[in-house]
Amino acid sequence: MRELITSPLFSIMLCIGAFEMGGWIHRKTKIDALNPLLIAIALVIVMLKMLDIPLEIFNEGGDMINLLLGPATVVLAVPMYEQVEILKKNIIPIIVATGVGALTSIGSVLLLCRAFGLDEALLASLLPKSVTTPIAVEVSVQHGGIASITIAAVVITGILGAVIAPGLIKIFKLEGCSVASGLAIGASSHAMGTSKAVQIGEIEGAMSGLAIGIMGIFTVLFSLFL
Amino acid sequence: MYTSILLQTAIIFALYFMGEGIATLLPITIPGNIIGMLLMFIGLLLKWIKVKHVQTVGRFLLSHMAFLFIPAGVSIIESIELIQDDWFKILIVCVLTTIITFAATGLTAKAVIRLQEGWKRKK
Repeated sequence: MRELITSPLFSIMLCIGAFEMGGWIHRKTKIDALNPLLIAIALVIVMLKMLDIPLEIFNEGGDMINLLLGPATVVLAVPMYEQVEILKKNIIPIIVATGVGALTSIGSVLLLCRAFGLDEALLASLLPKSVTTPIAVEVSVQHGGIASITIAAVVITGILGAVIAPGLIKIFKLEGCSVASGLAIGASSHAMGTSKAVQIGEIEGAMSGLAIGIMGIFTVLFSLFL
Repeated sequence: MYTSILLQTAIIFALYFMGEGIATLLPITIPGNIIGMLLMFIGLLLKWIKVKHVQTVGRFLLSHMAFLFIPAGVSIIESIELIQDDWFKILIVCVLTTIITFAATGLTAKAVIRLQEGWKRKK
């Protein structure tokens, strides 16, 4: 029995089962906060604790799923290409808004960390939290941050973005503006937020995917001046 | 002609692989998956790749993107101990800055789009 639950196959089935359960709960309750991804992560963590499966063992299967994240990011180019006319028409707003987003993200983390009295290592770890993981880790480590804290902050930001994006679109009155909604999601919560943007609409998904890349590049550039 | 699932997968993986390769050659850190996305975009624009060459697998990956993040999310438990004392402050920083960044980006985009439209109308 022990061999079975520690096989990569079990990890993958556990993820699928948890995600299906999350989707079912989300559909039944229709509450945005009960996001399928969030429920799935919580369920998997609970199961790992209950069955006493260490993270390294789970990751033998988890890494197979992780491996597909790269190709999934690559195919974000398809909705971008399908929306290329909108992209061309809005190139100025896209660049300006993402630039403002990158500055705001870095600035707000800086101010809040200082306000809460968090130390320099934590500040450096949180600074790139709105960009995609590989860029975030690099920027963090260059400024004396701790990689695993950065990953946690990036993931928390991503889950949060996916959960609250629909609500924020209403609060900031972006409903009629798919381009602005998509950019806001991608700039604030990278690929995890984009997974939600893809569900909201094709333009939202395309703009969100685009914002991940531009946001990452701006963050690398701006962080050179810190 | 129909592109088989296997061939579609090969095209997408190959672009990702090339992206990772180019990333190792660059002086600044741009992740391989982002470069792969750019390569795919350029390939589509230049018509070297057609949407139908990657459509079935591409749609599968995009519509299951949230699922693919489960292991990344689960791995937070590893760093929980490190941030024990400050976890609440960190959470608050994450929540507030995500909302602020969302608002700054979204509202700027909306304002610039309006400006651009107004400017075009005057012309």
